[in-house]
Amino acid sequence: MNKFLTFSFLFLLTFGVFASTDRVFEFEKEAYPFDDNIKEDLFYSLLNELRCPKCQSSNLAGSNSPISNDLKREVYELVKEKKTSEQIKEHLVERYGNFIIYNPPVESETYILWFGPFFLVFIAIFSIIFFRRRHAL
Amino acid sequence: MKKLIDILPLFTFIILIGVLFSFLSNKNNQLETVLIDDTFPQFSLSSLKDSSETLTQYDIKKLPALINIWATWCIACRIEHPFLMKLKEESVLPIYGLNYKDNREKALELLERDGDPFEFSIYDFEGRLAIDLGVYGAPETFFIDSNGVIRERHVGVVDEDVWKKKFAKYLDE
Repeated sequence: MNKFLTFSFLFLLTFGVFASTDRVFEFEKEAYPFDDNIKEDLFYSLLNELRCPKCQSSNLAGSNSPISNDLKREVYELVKEKKTSEQIKEHLVERYGNFIIYNPPVESETYILWFGPFFLVFIAIFSIIFFRRRHAL
Repeated sequence: MKKLIDILPLFTFIILIGVLFSFLSNKNNQLETVLIDDTFPQFSLSSLKDSSETLTQYDIKKLPALINIWATWCIACRIEHPFLMKLKEESVLPIYGLNYKDNREKALELLERDGDPFEFSIYDFEGRLAIDLGVYGAPETFFIDSNGVIRERHVGVVDEDVWKKKFAKYLDE
C-alpha cells in the first residue's frame, strides 16, 4: 500500500511537465486579438510548436525574449492573413532553418534523431533478453 | 562469441557518449545558414539618420557589400566597431548597417562619438527585416555579392581573422 502511494505521488508530480506550456494568459489574449476561434487556436498551437531561436529549449509561448515577441507578432500577422499552419512553418523555416520547429524533417542529417532511439531500444531489449536467459541457466 | 556479446552494452554506451560529445563540440553548425545563395530580402524601413526617409533593398547600390546588424545595447558590437571603421578607412568594401531594436538617439550618438563605418543604417526597431534575414541577435554580418546575392553569414564579432577566413575570398571573385 505504501509503495502504491509513493508511486501515485511520483506519477502526479510528472503532470507538471505536461501542464506548463499550455497556459494562455489573459493579457496575451488582449495583445493578440482574434475575431474567430479557429485562428486563435491555430495561433496558440503554433506558439507551442515553434521554438524560440535565442533559447536552447523553450518554445515561443514560453519565452518573453524580444526576438520571441517579434516572432509571435510575425505568426500573428500570418495567421490573420489566413495562412495555413504548414505555410507559416515553411515561412519561418526558410528564415531560421529547422531549428525553429521542434519536429524536424526526416533527412540524412536527422536520421540519428529519428532512428537512434529505436536502435537503442532494440539494443536494450536484446541485451535484457540475452542476459536474463543466460542468468536463468 | 559470448565474450563479444558481454561487452556489447559497454560498447554501445561508449559509442553513444562519443556521438553525443561530437555534437557538443559542433557548435558552429547550430545556426543553419538558410539564406545563403538567396537574393537579399525586400524591405521598406526608415533611415536611422532621418526618420522620414524610407529605405528599400534598391538603396543598397554599391555592391559587393557587407550588411552589419548592430545596436547600442550590444556590447560585442563595440568590440567589432574599430574593425568596421578600418574596413571603411581602407575602402575595402562598403558596409550597410542594420540598426536592430535600438533607440534612435542613442544609436546616432554612438556613431557621432565612435565614427560611422556605414554607407547608411536602416532603422529596424521592430526587427522586421531582421526576421526576414533570420537574425538571432547582434552582431551579425552578411556578405552580398555584386549580383545582390547573400554569400556568407557570420554570427558574432567580425575581426581580422574572421574577415580573412570567411569573407575576403568573395572579394577576389
